[in-house]
Amino acid sequence: MDYLLRIRDLKVNFEINSRVINAAESVNLGIGQNEVVVLGGESGSGKTITALAVTKILPPTAKIISGEVIFLGQDLLKLDENSLRMIRGTKIAYIFQEPTSFLNPVYTVGNQIMEAIMLHQHKTRKQAQELAIELLNSVKIKEPERVLLDYPHQLSGGMNQRVFLAMALACQPKLLIADEPTTSLDVTIEAEILRLLLDLKEKIGFSLLFITHNLSIAKRIADRICIMYKGKIVEEGSKDMIFNHPQHFHTKELINAYERIGKI
Amino acid sequence: MNKPLLSGVLIIGIFTLIAILAPLISPYDPSVIDQNNLLMPPSSKHLLGTDSLGRDILSRMIYGARISLSIGLIAVGIATIIGLILGSLAGFYGGWIDTLIMRFVDIMLCFPTFFLILAVVAILEPSIFNIMVIIGLTSWMGITRLVRAEILSLKEREFIQAERAIGASNFRIITGHLIPNAMGPVLVSATLGIAGAILLESALSFLGLGVQPPTPSWGNILIESKSTLGVAWWITVFPGLAILTVILGFNFIAEGLKKILG
Repeated sequence: MDYLLRIRDLKVNFEINSRVINAAESVNLGIGQNEVVVLGGESGSGKTITALAVTKILPPTAKIISGEVIFLGQDLLKLDENSLRMIRGTKIAYIFQEPTSFLNPVYTVGNQIMEAIMLHQHKTRKQAQELAIELLNSVKIKEPERVLLDYPHQLSGGMNQRVFLAMALACQPKLLIADEPTTSLDVTIEAEILRLLLDLKEKIGFSLLFITHNLSIAKRIADRICIMYKGKIVEEGSKDMIFNHPQHFHTKELINAYERIGKI
Repeated sequence: MNKPLLSGVLIIGIFTLIAILAPLISPYDPSVIDQNNLLMPPSSKHLLGTDSLGRDILSRMIYGARISLSIGLIAVGIATIIGLILGSLAGFYGGWIDTLIMRFVDIMLCFPTFFLILAVVAILEPSIFNIMVIIGLTSWMGITRLVRAEILSLKEREFIQAERAIGASNFRIITGHLIPNAMGPVLVSATLGIAGAILLESALSFLGLGVQPPTPSWGNILIESKSTLGVAWWITVFPGLAILTVILGFNFIAEGLKKILG
């Protein structure tokens, strides 16, 4: 298979006061063109750390020990900070869990979308503003001209996640990494955001790495599912394989967890 | 706008207006000596009286407002710029940069600032420009510590991670996102700093090492009144009141800003 992104033997440690904690131990993961890969697992299993290590935006206490991240033929872990900055936001974009706290409270959402545009594209403020309105339209926000002037605290969590998505898509990335983007939202909004993500994927054509602990989401959107446990990918397979013939005990636990909630 | 902020802005607004319009509203030339009207008490001709050389106190105070306010603003402007640069570097990069800057702050804080200023002014000449710069260069430490502390907590916030994820540079993150979020406490501290700088200039002038006569500043009108305090109270009382009111005004603004900006 031809991979867009291939993570090989990635190992990440946390070093806090000379204590070493293993966050990711030899992670192997591949994402194809236009593929939706769901990375599942319990909290603390290293999903987020793996995602952040892809473009080296880890917290300062985390160290990448070894491994490769091959993206479009080059190893991202070997690139310097400036070349990485050119990839962040243009080729690889992120959306995060708590959209409201991931937006800067002192700027309007319009300003922040325009910043994401102008960081990587040579555009005047006016052109950037037109593009921002277009982006807000594409994430199905009504009255984009008005929302542009709102501050993040004036919008709901679902609206902010759409704004954030608009920012992430500003430069038409090849890969979108979504780190539990719907965890802080209620189920109806969650369903809307998921549908929006899949629609946009069809329209723009990006690959999606979706991180979640909720396997019911995986059932809805995944082409392929990877289960992570204690810093390793313990099981990988199609929807059918994971849900009907789970091998690893943690996969079974995760499936049981959501099926039990379904029965309540 | 809350009450302290409103009254502070009102007081400072009036004094600023007076300072700007000085040539239009002062009734006399502040440095013209009038031998026939020495030490005149307040009257309809000289609203706040005259000094021992017959100069109109009101006119001298109006021109003095220019000097005192601009020294306060510019000195604090210098201190705030230094504090923002050093504080954000120390807070953002941490490690040896942080250690170096913060130990330098500790060293600067060890000097008794006032005597440091006195020594420097004694070596250089006490011009208005020198005084502004020297007060600015000796009062940036508090703001540096404040900015560093703000940046330390702000840089852990999620929106900074989001900025890195869209490919913003460190410079862009510091100037575009960290500093604007840290401006609240900095503004409060800077407003208090202006009051402190005006007071410092008055004290320097009072010791004869501040703004040199015949240029009037509130501090050096006060010192000239010292020898005639027994016969001419008005020369001492009015500049003193002006200093008091402006300091109070800036403190009101700082108090009001603190309430708004948390």
